[in-house]
Parts: sequence; C-alpha cells; structure tokens
Amino acid sequence: MFDNNVFKENTCVNVEEDGKVIGFEMQTNITYYRGIPMSMIEYIKVAVDGEEVPTEDIRISLEREDWFTLKEAETVTDYKWEYGEPLYVRVLKDGGLSKGTHKVKLTVATRTAYIPVPLEGIKEREVVID
Amino acid sequence: MSRIKTCVSLYSLQDEFLNKRMNLSDIMHYVKEKGSEGVEILPDQMLKNAPDISDETVAEWKKLLDETGLKPVIADVFLNTNLYKNRTLTRRESVDLLIKEIKQAARLGIHLIRLVSMVPYWVIEPLLPYCEKYDVTIAIEVHAAMAFDVPETMAFINEVKRLNSKYAGIVIDTGIFCRRFPRVVRAYETQNGTSPQVFDYIDTLFEKGTDLHRVLNENGGKYPADLEAAIQSEHDRMFVPLCDGYENLDYSVLDEYMPYIKHFHFKMFEMTPEGPEYSMDYKGLLQYLHDHDYDGYVSTEYEGNRFTLPGHPMMEKQQVAMQLKYVNECLKEIQG
Repeated sequence: MFDNNVFKENTCVNVEEDGKVIGFEMQTNITYYRGIPMSMIEYIKVAVDGEEVPTEDIRISLEREDWFTLKEAETVTDYKWEYGEPLYVRVLKDGGLSKGTHKVKLTVATRTAYIPVPLEGIKEREVVID
Repeated sequence: MSRIKTCVSLYSLQDEFLNKRMNLSDIMHYVKEKGSEGVEILPDQMLKNAPDISDETVAEWKKLLDETGLKPVIADVFLNTNLYKNRTLTRRESVDLLIKEIKQAARLGIHLIRLVSMVPYWVIEPLLPYCEKYDVTIAIEVHAAMAFDVPETMAFINEVKRLNSKYAGIVIDTGIFCRRFPRVVRAYETQNGTSPQVFDYIDTLFEKGTDLHRVLNENGGKYPADLEAAIQSEHDRMFVPLCDGYENLDYSVLDEYMPYIKHFHFKMFEMTPEGPEYSMDYKGLLQYLHDHDYDGYVSTEYEGNRFTLPGHPMMEKQQVAMQLKYVNECLKEIQG
C-alpha cells in the first residue's frame, strides 16, 4: 500500500569511511501515514541484482549518528521515525556496490496500531555507480 | 437546531506534507482559504516527537491557529500496543501512553481525541480523571469493517454508555455509508492485477443494498459461490479481504448512538466533477444530522491519495477544496 514511500530516488550511494568504501546506503520514507518509534520497524530487506543481503549486514539510522542492527532497533523506543523524514539504510559490504548498473530492491515493513499484519512496501530501483 | 460545522483532517494532505511540497503552515492556510472552520490533526504525522512535543512546536501551532482563525477541533490518536516485538503492552502501559496524549491535546488547545478503532474499552475508566482534569474528551472511531458488528467496537461503546460521561464518546467515519464501491480503488487495484470480475461482483452487492463485509459475515466468513466464481487467481483471493472496508449501512443505524457522537470523518475517495462524492451521499447524511440536531464538526478525510495511479498527479488539494465547497453548499441549503 505504501510502495511509493519506499526508497527515495537518487539516494543510493557507496559509503566511504577512512578512505575505504565500507558499503552502500539509501534513504526511505516510512511505510505508514504516521511516525512511530524505531522499535516498530518489523523488518527491512535489501536485495542487489536479485540476491538478498544478509540481515546482519544491515544497519539503520535516523540521523546518521546512531546506527542500529535490526535486532538492536527492536528496543529503540525513544527515537521516532517521523513521517516525512528519511530512514537511512546501510549495507556493510567491503568495496560497496561495484561500478556499473545494479538493481537494488528495498523492502520496508512497519507494525501499525490496529492492523494485524505489518504494512510492507517494496521498491526496486536501477542504481548507477560511477 | 443543528449546528454542523466544517473541518479538514490534515491527513487529507499527507502526500503534500510527506514530499515537502507543503509544510504545516502552508496546509493550515490552504484549508482556511478553502472554507474550513476547523482543523483536525494527527500529531504523530505532522508534529515532531509527538506526544512529547517541544514548547517551540506548541508555540508554532498556536501561531498558526492565530493566523488562520482555524478552530483546533480534534487530535487523532493511536495506541502502540505493539511497541515491542516480543510482547503486547500491559494495561497500565497502554493507559500511561494515552495519558500523555491527553496532556498533549491540552497543550495544543484541543479538547477532543479520536482513539483509533480497536483501542480496548478498559482504557476509558482509568482515563476519565485525566479527561476531566484537562478538559479533553476521548472518542472511539467507528470505521468501516470495524463498526457496529465488531466486538471490540461494541465493547467500547457499551462502556461509554455504562460510564455515561460527557468525556467519552464516538467518532463516525462515513465509509460505513458507501452506496457504491469507490471506482478509484477499482482502477488502482485492477492495475495491480485484480480481476474486473471481483469488482463486478462487489458492485452487484452494493446495487442490492448490501456490501462485501456484511455478506461475508452472514456467510460465516466463507466466500459465497458467486464470489468464488468471480475469483480468477491467487492474487484475487488474497485481495478480496482488503475489499471489506466499505460498508453500506442505513443512516438509521446512528439513531441510538447520536447522544454519544462527538465528531464525523467525512471520508472521501473521489469528489466527482458533477458535485457529489462518488460513493457517499453527503447531502443525505447532512440532512439526517440536521434532522437529529447534530452540533459538531464534519471533517474532510481524503483517502483517494493512496489510490492515485502511477504517473497521475496527486489531487489532494483539489479534492479537499471540492469537498469543502460541496459540503458548505449543502449546509447552506439545509441549515440556512
């Protein structure tokens, strides 16, 4: 239902730290119509060129300061993912995405206050790495 | 004498806000300009860190109310009972969360809270002392598929009746008064792969004066033979349960609840160029409310935004303006 909120356009880039590419990251809006604490993120999945990345390599952040694994985020109730503000999704991978064109698919699901099943949104984008 | 007033839920302009084409100030000024008297807000949607909002956020909100003259009518509140993945909140935790919401509403100058459907009835009694202290009423939403035949909703309403306080009541969403299945939903979902036969079948139910929700209930949750015949694929089968959120009830269902009704969501899927909403007869409902001396707001709640076809422009602003115009014309005719 909220597919259009997922994976903001032109946000997928490689991430460099200390002169080394440690992975890649992208931004997404929330798959809901209101902000919720991070603990209500049910799951995040990333697939590159048809292959899903291991869950334990995913980190998420609201302000690029505190980064959480998905397991850790389950207890983060003080920070809210606001409606209209991005969640940063980072995948740790030495060298990041290789040069060229990739199909990157992002899946985001949130728990809601009254709907029994999580609200999932999916978006695949073609990403060009120069 | 009825005193029916207009209001816009800012939920109606959520895509404008999400994509930063309009900020809260733009939206408030827009709905005022288009003829709304009141404003409804989801604090979780447009106020940062709700319900723990900063003094600056409160000051900004008050400034916008001053500038526009809009009346702050109601806050839409949710209860995150599933805050944690491994357990459901206890009763005390749930009540504590809602106390925060009551205090927030008071800070915003709002005296009415809409509790989302399925909030359990047992929150009312422990909340009442706070409602009285802060002068904030709590009201459960009666929404299509979560309306008068649903045990959780009825338990809440029965508790409202038992406690008999002016601080507890009901909000009605007019999606329970659909006379036709929204064609914008059909168009959107057909494009996503649902077969036209499924919608043709649902249309026949509305023509007969019933709806899918009622038919499935009457059939013990099982799909009737006509529906089975309409289902062409596994996708259709998965999708059918999502079509029950449109009910076709008679206005008389409200007769016994009128004393408890605090607010209306005038749900909107599509205002037609001819004037009326495609699925709902606002004029008929407004006449009913007038005849029953309703004193309160009817609030625009646009939901066609989520059924906008890819490549088509978002029509939130236009649709809100069209509904306000139409409702104001109806009210002029009915209330004088």
